[in-house]
Amino acid sequence: MLFNSIDFAIFLPLVFLFYWFVSNRNLKFQNLIIVAASYLFYGWWDWRFLSLILFSTIIDFFVGLGLKNESNQSKRKILIWTSILVNLGFLGFFKYYNFFLDNFISAFSFFGSEINVSSLNIILPVGISFYTFQTMSYSIDVYKRKLEPSSDFIAFSAFVCFFPQLVAGPIERASNLLPQFYSKRNFIYSKAIDGLRQILWGLFKKIVIADNCAEYANAIFNNSSDYSGSTLLLGALLFSFQIYGDFSGYSDIAIGTSRLFGFDLMRNFAFPYFSRDIAEFWRRWHISLSTWFRDYLYIPLGGSKGGIWMKIRNTFIIFIVSGFWHGANWTFIVWGALNALYFLPLLLTNNNRNNLHTIADGKFLPSLKEFSLMLLTFTLTVFAWIFFRSENMSHAISIIGEIFSNSLFAIPEIRPRTTIILLVLFILIEWLGRDSQFALAPIQNMFNRPVRWAVYTFIVFLIGMFMQTEETPFIYFQF
Amino acid sequence: MKHFIKSLLLFLPLMLISYIVLVFLWGYFVPSFFEHNLKFRIGTNGHLNSRLKEVKQSSEVDILFLGSSHTYRGFDTRVFNKHGYSSFNLGSSSQTPLQTQLLLDKHLTSLNPKLIIYEVYPKTFEIDGVESSLDIISNDNFDISSIIMSIKLNNIKVYNTLIYAFFMDILKVNANYKEPYARGNDTYISGGFVQKNISYFNNNEKYEPNIWVLDEKQIKRFENILTILKKKNIELILVQAPITSSLYKSYSNNNYFDSLIVSKHNKYYNFNEILNLNDSLHFYDSHHLNQSGVELFNIKLIEILRMNNLKINKTLNK
Repeated sequence: MLFNSIDFAIFLPLVFLFYWFVSNRNLKFQNLIIVAASYLFYGWWDWRFLSLILFSTIIDFFVGLGLKNESNQSKRKILIWTSILVNLGFLGFFKYYNFFLDNFISAFSFFGSEINVSSLNIILPVGISFYTFQTMSYSIDVYKRKLEPSSDFIAFSAFVCFFPQLVAGPIERASNLLPQFYSKRNFIYSKAIDGLRQILWGLFKKIVIADNCAEYANAIFNNSSDYSGSTLLLGALLFSFQIYGDFSGYSDIAIGTSRLFGFDLMRNFAFPYFSRDIAEFWRRWHISLSTWFRDYLYIPLGGSKGGIWMKIRNTFIIFIVSGFWHGANWTFIVWGALNALYFLPLLLTNNNRNNLHTIADGKFLPSLKEFSLMLLTFTLTVFAWIFFRSENMSHAISIIGEIFSNSLFAIPEIRPRTTIILLVLFILIEWLGRDSQFALAPIQNMFNRPVRWAVYTFIVFLIGMFMQTEETPFIYFQF
Repeated sequence: MKHFIKSLLLFLPLMLISYIVLVFLWGYFVPSFFEHNLKFRIGTNGHLNSRLKEVKQSSEVDILFLGSSHTYRGFDTRVFNKHGYSSFNLGSSSQTPLQTQLLLDKHLTSLNPKLIIYEVYPKTFEIDGVESSLDIISNDNFDISSIIMSIKLNNIKVYNTLIYAFFMDILKVNANYKEPYARGNDTYISGGFVQKNISYFNNNEKYEPNIWVLDEKQIKRFENILTILKKKNIELILVQAPITSSLYKSYSNNNYFDSLIVSKHNKYYNFNEILNLNDSLHFYDSHHLNQSGVELFNIKLIEILRMNNLKINKTLNK
C-alpha cells in the first residue's frame, strides 16, 4: 500500500478510529491493532513476504530472550550470530544473490573459464533492507546489554512491523521505539495536528516535487544518448530534487502518521541540500541509516581512533557498505566511494564537525561564503547522484562525458517551466523553515488559525493541480 | 480527541469549498502552461463543440454513428444521405466505451436511431479515456452524466476540469462561443462529419511490431453498452474502420481483437480485412482516411447494410 494512494487514504482513518476508539485505549489491544494493520499494510503488496517478517520477528524475539538468560559468552555469540545471519541471509539472498552470481561468472570468464549458472528470478521484498537492519539493531543492543530484551511478543512484533516506517524507515533504534510500545499512549491534540501537518508536507514533497521532477529526470536518464550536456545536467539536478522529495517526503509521512498514533520516530532528514560541507550533508541526509552505520559498523571497526590508514579504511568501508545497502549494482558502490572521497579531506584535517549549526542562523540570507560552500556541496552531491541514478557504470560515464563537453553550453532540449517554478517555491519554503523539524512546522507559531488553514488548503490545491495522475511508488521501496 | 475530530470536520468541508473556488480562479487567471491538471479546451481539434451543439437541435435519424476520430472523420453523413439514410455522427476524439455510454445517455432518446453503427478501434479499449472525457466536459454542458463519468474515471485532471466547466457553465462565460466551421485543413459538415482537405499520405514511418493490450474495464463498459442497446431493441453494427495496412499489420493480435468483438456481438465488420485500400492514396495519416478513402469505405458499408436484413432497410423500402 502506497502512502500516496486512495487505499492508504481509507486505511489510515480506519486504523486511527479503531486504535483510539475501539481499543478502549487498552495497551495490549492497541499493539495488536498495530500488528494487524501493519501486516495488512505490508500484505497489500505481496502477502507471501509476510512470512519473512514473521520469521525475522520470531528469531529476534527468542534470540533476545536467550541473550538475557545466557551468561556463557560463547553461547551468547552463537545467539547473536544466528540473528545476524538470518537477517543478513534474507537480505543477501533476495537482494544480492544475482549480483554476486553475475560478478562471479564475469570474474571466471575474465580468467578464461566459463561456468554455466543461471541467475534466479528473485522478487525483492519491499523494505527488506529497512526492517532487517531495525531488528538487527535490537539483537546487537541486547547482546551488548544496552537494552533489556522484550518479553512481550505482541509489543515486539509491533516494533518490527510498525507500518508507518516498515518499508522505508526511518530505521528506528530499539532503544527509542520499543519502550514506546510498553507505555500508555495518550492522544495529544497538538501532537496529532503536528503529525497531520507533517503528513501534508510529506505528500507535497512526494506528489508535487518528486513526481514532477521524476517525469523529466526519467525521460532524460532513460534516453540520455539523445540529449546534450546541458539537458543531462538538468536531468541530474531534477533527479537530486526527485530523490530528496521522494525519500524525505516518505519520512515526513511516516513520522507524521506515527504521531497520530502517539509515537515519536527519529528525524531522518534535516534540510541536507543546505549543507556547507559533505560531513554536514551526511549528518542531515538519511540520518537513521547514517547513524546506524556509525553505531553498528564504524565505531566497532575503531571509528576515527587509530592511525590515518585506519581512518581512511573505516571511512571507505562505511560509505561503500552504505552504497551497497542501496542496491546490488556497481553504481551504488561508486556513489558510496565517491562520498568517501568527498568526506576524507574533512576527516583527515579534523574539519568534519565544523558546521554543526543551521546555515545563516538567525538571518534571512546566507553570507557569500556560506552560499558558495552550500553551492559547492550541492554540486558535489549532484555529481554523485549521476552514478546513483544511472543504469550501470558505462551509462554514468557516458552521461558525465557529455556533461563535460561543449554541449553543456547548448540550450537544453527539455525546459520544464512548471517544475522549475514549483521547485523555486519549494526551496523557498524549505529555506524559511530550515530551523525546524520540517519546513511547515513553524507556521503553528507564526500564524493564526484562519491563515494556517488557508496555507493547508493552498498546499492541497497545489497537490491537486500538479500531481501526476498515476500513483508512483517511492524510490526507496526498491532498497 | 473531541477537539481534533471537530476541527477536522470543520476544516475538511471548508477546504473542499475553497479548493473548488481556487480551481476556477486558477483556471481563469493563470496562464495555461501552469495548469498541469486542468485541461479546459473549448473548440478543440475535431469540432466536438459544433457537433454537440448540432445534436441538441437534431431529431430522429436512421443511423447514429459512434466511436473515435475514425468515426467523425470516416462516416460522411452526406454519402449516407445520398443513399437514403438520414444520420448523425457522434464521434469524438479517442472515444472510449465510457464516453460512448455518456453520449448515448444524453442523446439516444432524442435521436431515436433505427440503427447504430459503433466504430470499435482497439486503441480505445487500451486507453483510460481521460483525454476524451476532458474534450466532452469542455465542449458540452455541465450535467449529472458528466459527474457520473468523472467519478467512474476517478482522475484528478477530470475532476478539476469538471469543476472549471461547472463555473464556466453557470457564469455563461462561453455562452456566445461559436466554433468556426473551417479550421486549417478541417471543415465541419452538418451532421457531425469532419472533412480533411489533404489527399495523400506520405508514409515514411516504420512501425515496431506491437500487440493490443486491452483494458478489462473498457471491455466491461463496452458489454454494458451492448446490453443497454439490446434492451432498447436498437439494431447495432460494429465496425472497425480502416487504418493504413502498415500500421494494421504491425499489430500481431488483430485476430484476437476480432474474435473478442464477435463473441460479444456477431454483426461485426473489420474493414481492414474487407477493403483493399492504398496507404498513400486513401489516407491522410497513419489511421485516418482522406475523402476518397472515406467514400470507398462508406459505399462498401452501405452495400453491407443493404445485404443485411435490417429493419432500417425495410423502412426505406416502404
